[in-house]
Amino acid sequence: MAIELPETDVVVVGLGAAGGVAVLPLTRAGLKVIGLEAGTWMNPAADYRADEIHNNVRALVTTGTKVAREVPTFRNTPDQVARQLPRHPMMNAVGGTSIHYHAQSWRLNPWDFRVRSATLERYGASYLPEGSTVEDWPLGYDDLEPYYDHIEYEVGVSGKAGNLRGVIDPQGNVFEGPRQREYPMPPLRSCDYLDHMMEAGRAIGFHPYRGPAAINSQAYEGRPGCALHGWCDRGGCHIRAKSSTDVTTIPKAQATGNLTVTDNANVRRIVTDNSGKAIGVTYLRGGEEYFQPARAVMLGTYTYENIRLLLLSRSARHANGLGNNRGQLGRHYFGHWDAQAGAGASALFPFDLNIWYGAIAQGVMVDDWADDNFDHAGLGFIGGASLHTYTEKHPIGAAAMGLYGRAPRRWGSAWKQFIRENAGRWTSAYIQTNTFPYANTWADLDPNVNDPFGDPVLRITSGPKQNEPKAAAHAADKMQQWFRAGGAIETTGQGGNGPALSTHAHGGTRMGLDPGTSVVDAFGFVHDVPNLGVLGGSVMGTAGARNPTQTLQALAWRSAEHLAAEWNVRTA
Amino acid sequence: MSKSGPAGGGTVIPQTEFPHLPHAVLDRRRLLAGSAALLPLVNLSCSTTPPSQMPLVFTPAERAVLDAFAERIIPADEAGPGAAASGVARYIERSLAEWNQADIPSLRNGLQKLDAAARAQHGQGFANLPAAQQDELMLAMEDGGLAGFGDAQPVFNRLHRLVLEGMFSDPYYGGNANYAGWDLIGYPGAVLGSTEEMQQMGGRLPMLHTSAYGAEHDGDDDGATHDGH
Repeated sequence: MAIELPETDVVVVGLGAAGGVAVLPLTRAGLKVIGLEAGTWMNPAADYRADEIHNNVRALVTTGTKVAREVPTFRNTPDQVARQLPRHPMMNAVGGTSIHYHAQSWRLNPWDFRVRSATLERYGASYLPEGSTVEDWPLGYDDLEPYYDHIEYEVGVSGKAGNLRGVIDPQGNVFEGPRQREYPMPPLRSCDYLDHMMEAGRAIGFHPYRGPAAINSQAYEGRPGCALHGWCDRGGCHIRAKSSTDVTTIPKAQATGNLTVTDNANVRRIVTDNSGKAIGVTYLRGGEEYFQPARAVMLGTYTYENIRLLLLSRSARHANGLGNNRGQLGRHYFGHWDAQAGAGASALFPFDLNIWYGAIAQGVMVDDWADDNFDHAGLGFIGGASLHTYTEKHPIGAAAMGLYGRAPRRWGSAWKQFIRENAGRWTSAYIQTNTFPYANTWADLDPNVNDPFGDPVLRITSGPKQNEPKAAAHAADKMQQWFRAGGAIETTGQGGNGPALSTHAHGGTRMGLDPGTSVVDAFGFVHDVPNLGVLGGSVMGTAGARNPTQTLQALAWRSAEHLAAEWNVRTA
Repeated sequence: MSKSGPAGGGTVIPQTEFPHLPHAVLDRRRLLAGSAALLPLVNLSCSTTPPSQMPLVFTPAERAVLDAFAERIIPADEAGPGAAASGVARYIERSLAEWNQADIPSLRNGLQKLDAAARAQHGQGFANLPAAQQDELMLAMEDGGLAGFGDAQPVFNRLHRLVLEGMFSDPYYGGNANYAGWDLIGYPGAVLGSTEEMQQMGGRLPMLHTSAYGAEHDGDDDGATHDGH
């Protein structure tokens, strides 16, 4: 039998990018919060290294015992048997994947919240992607703006406003929605290569700008500015300049005295009572099973485990899983159409770029070919992709470069001479595409593959898409044009074939007004379980042409604030 | 991975604090004089078994094939030292022993198959063939065209990848001896911070020859040749 613990106000499952943010408004409101985290605290001195083998080859920061046990299976079509993939894209730790992510920290474009109605208005129904289940979000950019602001200031984001209360500043992103105030810190330091690309982009009429980052560009709230040592990708920050939640919102919540962090806690089920309300969670820790009663539950694991845990938490009132009485749980899932989908571009220059150091988020962006920032009439797709050129190049990756037809093969003396000349002269660009949900793409429980506890792992079915590869290929062409304007002598670009598992997994517990097409309401709570909130990318109904983290953090803050404000109603 | 933190469900904030680290500078003499950029990033007493104590995984005959294979991927030539002088096979054996044990059987079998193909076609072991004949066999292996060697292509790809790792990884792991790999491509070295000068375009940066693990772990100490058997 599970050991029953004293009741708390709120139990937050998962202390990563989303749960790690939600604990702050909850605890500031005076609620007693227990945060259950499957991993533990990282040890920066031992775990974070300036070492490509450690970070990128062996992925020793990107790890966790729980995610390793429950790697989802994947297939393209329902007639295939899904195969378990070699590794999970995320990690377990206090701070979660905000520890090793690139920390590009964005607000979505206002268009992302109303893709369906905006497309109908501008282009007509024939432009909606075939097979797509895209809906407008139940909230707009303006509703989320104050919460984006909270994240930028409470987590710590560096950047330059492009639209300050309607006043456009070409030093920032001229396409962004209006913001009420400037970022709390200026952008990360630029560098010679990025200045060069900024100039090249302007020369061809693009609107390049220095992208925002959840990384200190200068000392902020007791943490130092980024040292730009070049080991941000899949590495943790040795000086705590990256604004991961383990060094920002979680310690702030601890300082209220209202947060208890319980590490190494493997949550197995969300428990409901006979009325269907959530009454707590069960978890394993150190070989013991515990029941943690709570007045409200906030589920803030990764998209895959959010969906799985809800599917596994069956009861008489929720026979097909929590939030699944209308068959929507796992529907409208999709992976972001980015490098993991095969979208991208690369370039070879006739001079040394010297971008070994820096950070992925030390970059220059172009939004001209993203969202609905250009006329799509006759193009055959909606949306687009952002273009991002950046620094931080590691030596093994640099030497494993493409040949651009300039070496006979990838070994031998001719190749050695080729990389001697060119390993420091090439770079790749990051193409992130507006991505939508489709009827042919969903997540459910795998009938054949279990975790060691006998629970099925999640199964991803992801069918072919038409819109996203076209939008990505269009943007990749523009990226090559930009590279050429910067003097590149060789370029490549491709739209990609689609993601398998994704570090930008969206949907599956979509947010919406209609319980027939969504799982959670406009504040992120399960339609028929008013005291169960869901945090993370799983609530997002569209993916922007940019990284999702700041948006899911703003949503998490908003859900938490709503729970505190409506406490009596939500927990009645 | 080593982790720290409360043993129980506490509210302890990790106590690891870093002094503010000054940016690295380009002048190697100043670095060697004690700039913080040279301080090991890692407390080695907390890390895994030192690579020098790793058991080796191949027989002398298999190792000879691996040495020859790696040297044809990255030959010694006018562009600089090759794989053999850079400890690449040493890196591969240590990496397999420490981290990739599951790869060992297929790679061992692959090295034996390559050697058998050499004997069948030329009457000599792979390691003793002239470079041109080694290259012919490796091209066939890369294309999957060696008789009786069904997984030739994936084995070639895996070994090719390991050779690159050995040449261009931190010398701490046993390859990239004397920073030969980083010198080849112009990667200055691991630092804990960069300056604007270290991101200036237009020419090669001065080489720093810094390991993330400090000067005593950069692989210079035990020279360029591989470990004996």
